Amino acid sequence: MAPLTYLQAISAALRDELRDDERVLIMGEDIGAFGGAFKVTDGFVSEFGPERVMDTPLAESGIIGTAVGAAVVGMRPVCEMQFSDFISCGFDQLVNVAGKMHYRQGLAVPITVRLPSGGGFSGGPFHSQNPEGWFMHAPGIKIVAPSTAEDAKGLLHTAIRDPNPVCYMEHKHLYRRIKGEVPEGVFETPLTARVARSGSDLVVIAYGAMVHTALEATEDLEGASIEVLDLRSLVPLDEDAILDSVARCSKVVIVDEANATCAAGAQVAALIAQRGFEDLDGPVVRVATPDVPIPFSPPLEQAVLPSVDRIREACHELLEY
Amino acid sequence: MATQTAQATARTGGAVGHLQVEDRIWLLRAMLLMRGIEERAMTLYRQGKVPGSFYDGFGQEAVSAGAAFAMAAEDRLCILHRDLAAHIVRGVTPARIFAQYMGRETGITAGRDGNVHFGDYRVGCVGMVSMLPDMMLVATGMAMAFKIRGEQRCALTWFGDGSTSRGDFHEAMNWAGVQRLPVIFVLENNQYAYSTPLDKQFAVDPVERAAGYGLVGVTVDGNDAEAMFEATHDARERALAGDGPTMIEAVTMRMHGHAAHDDMKYVPKELVEEWRKRDPIEQQEARLREIGVDVDALRAEVTEEINAAAQEALQAPMPDPAKATEGVFCEGEAEPLRDGQAPWSGFSGAAG
Amino acid sequence: MSSSSTETASVVDVTMPQMGVSVAEGTVVAWRVEVGDRIEADQTICEISTDKIDTEVPAPVSGVVTEIVVPVETTVAVGEVLARVGVGEGAETARAPEPPDGAPSTPSSAPSKSSSAPSKSEAGPSGPSTSRPEGAPSNGDGQVDAVSEPTPAPQAAPRADGARDGRRYSPVVQRIAAEHGIDLSAVPGTGRGGRVRKQDVLAFIESGSGGSTVEEPPLHIESPYRPEPVSAPPAGAAAAAVPTGELSRMRRQIGEHMKRSLETAATCTTWIETDMSRVESARKSLGATALAFVARATIAALREHPDLNAWLDGESYTRHHAIHLGIAVSLGEKGLIVPVIHDAHELSVEGLAARIKDLARRARDGGLTPDEVRGGTFTITNPGQFGSIMATPIINQPQVGILDLEAVVKRPVVVADAEGNDSIAIRPMTILGLSWDHRALDGAIAAQFLASVKRHLEGWTGA
Repeated sequence: MAPLTYLQAISAALRDELRDDERVLIMGEDIGAFGGAFKVTDGFVSEFGPERVMDTPLAESGIIGTAVGAAVVGMRPVCEMQFSDFISCGFDQLVNVAGKMHYRQGLAVPITVRLPSGGGFSGGPFHSQNPEGWFMHAPGIKIVAPSTAEDAKGLLHTAIRDPNPVCYMEHKHLYRRIKGEVPEGVFETPLTARVARSGSDLVVIAYGAMVHTALEATEDLEGASIEVLDLRSLVPLDEDAILDSVARCSKVVIVDEANATCAAGAQVAALIAQRGFEDLDGPVVRVATPDVPIPFSPPLEQAVLPSVDRIREACHELLEY
Repeated sequence: MATQTAQATARTGGAVGHLQVEDRIWLLRAMLLMRGIEERAMTLYRQGKVPGSFYDGFGQEAVSAGAAFAMAAEDRLCILHRDLAAHIVRGVTPARIFAQYMGRETGITAGRDGNVHFGDYRVGCVGMVSMLPDMMLVATGMAMAFKIRGEQRCALTWFGDGSTSRGDFHEAMNWAGVQRLPVIFVLENNQYAYSTPLDKQFAVDPVERAAGYGLVGVTVDGNDAEAMFEATHDARERALAGDGPTMIEAVTMRMHGHAAHDDMKYVPKELVEEWRKRDPIEQQEARLREIGVDVDALRAEVTEEINAAAQEALQAPMPDPAKATEGVFCEGEAEPLRDGQAPWSGFSGAAG
Repeated sequence: MSSSSTETASVVDVTMPQMGVSVAEGTVVAWRVEVGDRIEADQTICEISTDKIDTEVPAPVSGVVTEIVVPVETTVAVGEVLARVGVGEGAETARAPEPPDGAPSTPSSAPSKSSSAPSKSEAGPSGPSTSRPEGAPSNGDGQVDAVSEPTPAPQAAPRADGARDGRRYSPVVQRIAAEHGIDLSAVPGTGRGGRVRKQDVLAFIESGSGGSTVEEPPLHIESPYRPEPVSAPPAGAAAAAVPTGELSRMRRQIGEHMKRSLETAATCTTWIETDMSRVESARKSLGATALAFVARATIAALREHPDLNAWLDGESYTRHHAIHLGIAVSLGEKGLIVPVIHDAHELSVEGLAARIKDLARRARDGGLTPDEVRGGTFTITNPGQFGSIMATPIINQPQVGILDLEAVVKRPVVVADAEGNDSIAIRPMTILGLSWDHRALDGAIAAQFLASVKRHLEGWTGA
């Protein structure tokens, strides 16, 4: 075991995969010679060569489309969108070609798409998004979102080894801020949720960076026992874990850093309303970024992203209910 | 525009260029099957047996028959909606094609996708999507993998004049050119994209842009199956030698509407008439009759084969509704595309 | 189609085709055949015109035209019959067949989802209103607008059923109340505006008070020496008239078993008082019932006193190593049943809680398998939610012991501090009763067993 940052864990996973499986190919803009916009692949090209650590043209549709082609002839491409926001340029290839291929033609498309997402550092509207909601809505695409260094490694292994298209939501704000013990070698984290803190009076459901915000917000809240559930996998969604937390806690706050409408939390809320109804002792509460492009100036950005205070207040209100 | 049309060489037992007699017969057979299947399917469509829409490649049969014939078993194809002959060359049976049109359980997609949106992965074909020309990038990616692994294989896709206006055309041409990939892009210039004629589609013919991306661009008579074969064969050699991608512009004419529900009133009748005289099947039949092949017997054989196939497909069951939500995800190992049939005599080493 | 000389002809419909995905109808422009004409398959039968295209309709079969259904210039929907063609012998004289018996079979509809709403009726005042109260907003015409969300009922409005408060109860509160037969109007609420929260109804149950009609302040001492008996019976058991005549089969079987047990075993009962403070606080964090904890402590005690985990059947005495724990489940009026947690010794408190919950639910739904009610080596019965404090349970043959858990009640008890100074403290206490078979063991063993159970519960640290 060694303590690694979230970013180092991602690099370690990629390195292990490239070493372990000659079919693995990583591709993206500026990932080779430059080592990646965030230095995730720093030093890779000297170990693995420019063909397996490929600097692609500036063409997101091309990156995803060619990854599909390479995948169906036996490779395991791991493509990177430099910022998750740019996935919109490759939306068609991901949703219509990759996502639907197995259902229609029985042909598996084992690609992984790494999506550095999230805000909190004045990235502005095109470098701060959390677009996973779009792809939860598209059949045939799995989505994972680690919040810890260990899960960052384990979920990336799982994603790369999964025979289906997987979107890997890596949160930029966690890259260097989160450190944790990470087991050595290859290990696959299951596509299930994780109880980040166990509790009984109320459960906060979150994923990605919001797990840490939620933990901080509920550490010491009037002595209440507050559970924090880290979803980790959005597709498939761990419905059993969600309903189990609701059954024990009966009060739920769901946090999304993504824009509120049709975010992952909306699906979780619908699930709870339908299948957890009898366990509820209060309305299902959501804390999410409002439906605005993420603004650039710090006071504006801080005002829209869910903060420790907003989560605390929502929990406080619901506890009192 | 420079045109490279295959010239018939001195008759050596009927062989011409790289094609032996049996190859030339194969080409006709593939085109007859394509046309026969499509005509029969059109009738079934009007009889209410084919749901949804129906597309055919009437008058364009040589484009897919000729090009697919030049592909080796280990090569990979992305086949589009007017390229039925390509499926036939690779080994997909007519009965399964009819079942596919009729949405039966035994169709290639078991009713999951319709008309020509299919690709049998077991014979190395990827099924198309409706967003054109997305498949150009998939073919580029397959070629990219071949190059990384140092394999002597290539990928090929067809696409139409209309789809050259979309971004993926540019991204694929650029990517293939900058990485010098073993991919062949067959542009089926059939004069119309639905109702949109060429002069509303582009200012410069796409084949002239090929050089701008670092590709070799050639124009071929798309109604000459043997010329299509030769051009594709050359492109394949080029690709395998490491000299990069080729765009083959196959000039042809879409003789029917965009789909069965389109009567193409917008196409000038004179244009249609002119192209009628250049029917690819009639061309090939004339050539073979000249060297003494019994074309009528072949036709009769094909007709019988198609009738039997249609009957077989009509007996096939519809898919089980209970299974409608299955198969979204692959649950086991991801299997890559497999090799297909490659009937050209040159692949078995028997060519002289 | 096989044809024999005696077979009558069959008839095939020619229908309006769908020429394009969005096309819904077509018009017959011209008929190319007449009734009585002999035709070949694929021969053009008629010409049609649609929004997208004009085309011809080919015949689906060879035969004789028996009927032209749709005249020229008539527009019909896709799929409608245009004409009919007779096929086979005697086709010339074949007429259109009678419509098939009954309507074409419709696909069977999906089985309706079993209701997941908690039963509301027993719990007293109604739950959150999802129906519109009287005086729903209406527009000027006096029609009621369609409301997509439940209109909140005013908090204090008197309800039509005459209940004395306008309180609403959440789904989980109602469910818990129904499971325990609690009248929610008696439960004090500590939520916003006096709302009854989940912890309020749970605390109410644990304090052992059920059916009281007086609203009591929280944290009071429940004395067992109440002058009046519990006033309202638990709502679920309210006065369903017992039909006179024979007892039900289940009732008779239970009766037989109980009588046989008393006649066979030398039944004695011993009791011990237990301080449940540690269990109560552990319960909150694990979300399990006291029963699960008692089950766990019982298993530990059975390990220490294996004499209690045995069968005595006539002369044959068998001590068991595995612990298969029976848990008595009340089926209300119908009687009771004892599902068995096999290999209970392998389960933690959480595991036991989950199994108990599952078995109880399935017992009430009638979903237990025969294996699940056999093979028990020891039984626990827990009828304590009604407030009773002690009982003399009857041993479940051929076992030799049965533990009874009654109400947990807050009492004043004497506690000593580290220096031995006494003071009065308020503790949740319960009395555990053990009925045991004097043929298999003596009172000393029974007492020691109870002491072990008490020790495990009072010293609970989370094992």
